[in-house]
Amino acid sequence: MSSRLAEKFESSVTANNELTIEVPIKDLISVCRSLRDEEGFEQLIDLCGVDYLTYGCDDWETDEATYTGFSRGVERVHEKSTWKKPRFAVVYHLLSLKNNDRIRIRTLLPEQNLIIPSVISIWASAHWYEREAFDLFGILFEGHPDLRRILTDYGFVGHPFRKDFPLSGHVEVRYDTEQKRVIYQPVSIEPRILVPKVIRDDNRYAEDK
Amino acid sequence: MEKRGIGVGIEGIFKQGFVTTSLDSLINWARTGSLWPVSFGLACCAVEMMQAATSRYDLDRFGVIFRPSPRQSDVLIVAGTLCNKMAPAIRKVYDQMADPKWVISMGSCANGGGYYHYSYSVVRGCDRIIPVDVYVPGCPPTAEALVYGIMQLQKKIQQNDTIAR
Repeated sequence: MSSRLAEKFESSVTANNELTIEVPIKDLISVCRSLRDEEGFEQLIDLCGVDYLTYGCDDWETDEATYTGFSRGVERVHEKSTWKKPRFAVVYHLLSLKNNDRIRIRTLLPEQNLIIPSVISIWASAHWYEREAFDLFGILFEGHPDLRRILTDYGFVGHPFRKDFPLSGHVEVRYDTEQKRVIYQPVSIEPRILVPKVIRDDNRYAEDK
Repeated sequence: MEKRGIGVGIEGIFKQGFVTTSLDSLINWARTGSLWPVSFGLACCAVEMMQAATSRYDLDRFGVIFRPSPRQSDVLIVAGTLCNKMAPAIRKVYDQMADPKWVISMGSCANGGGYYHYSYSVVRGCDRIIPVDVYVPGCPPTAEALVYGIMQLQKKIQQNDTIAR
């Protein structure tokens, strides 16, 4: 099954025993439709956006974190991203109950033209997933009947899951006793990066032990 | 007969058939004995709040009965993460409650943002939106901690004087 699919679509990766196929935007609908109708992938398990802006960059040195422990307020480690492909991607996870099989489709999107056809006509479950991807990444789904924000605040500005969106955002809320309503004001806290206590590449996990 | 903590004198009740107390003590006794919180759960703290209400900790024995309407409630327990989107709603619920009213902030998130302090979407402490009487620490606080917080609120109410100034 997997090998037959891999032949059918040009670029595919098999990692951790999972098949990922990369589909260009123009073929997305036809590929999805044939996956549903001919290969039996009747369920869309998940649809999500991905931002590869800081791909390969670290917020902290994980090797040192093991020794230095839980520290706060460190400087961001600036590195150049190693990602050479378009910045955004939409990822679809499909499940075939009939064949007990799963597949992942990845479609890359350039930053300048974040429009991708909606798959609602193929899997109805895509409705809220596409709203979520629009809300958090600003990806536009062509043909979506109701592309509104789904999670963030009413009147929210920006797309918070983009890597260039500051973690603490731009506004915060408080109650104003004079206006007698909850008001928005610019964020009053300093952003900082928290380094968790992580243990990676520890000698306990060395190959020879 | 031993004098009770809340100051309701029942000395001589058996001989004379009546009791004497101050009106403030009576009011405070009534208020502390029927703290009805509005059912307002926001996150995992709400699960602990539910557990405090069920048979093991049984908040009913304190007269704490959860009400579905802010109009019938005396206490607002902010149980969980207060998001920006929810902030106007919780203020509205608070404004709809009849006086006298109290607020218990339950858990790290409601106290000061907690784990989500640096988030773009979370209020850094529900006291930015509504005035808080009792803060219950923990992430989430245990059901015992919430019961203790309610008892602290009862103590606080007992210090109030409505008539005597």
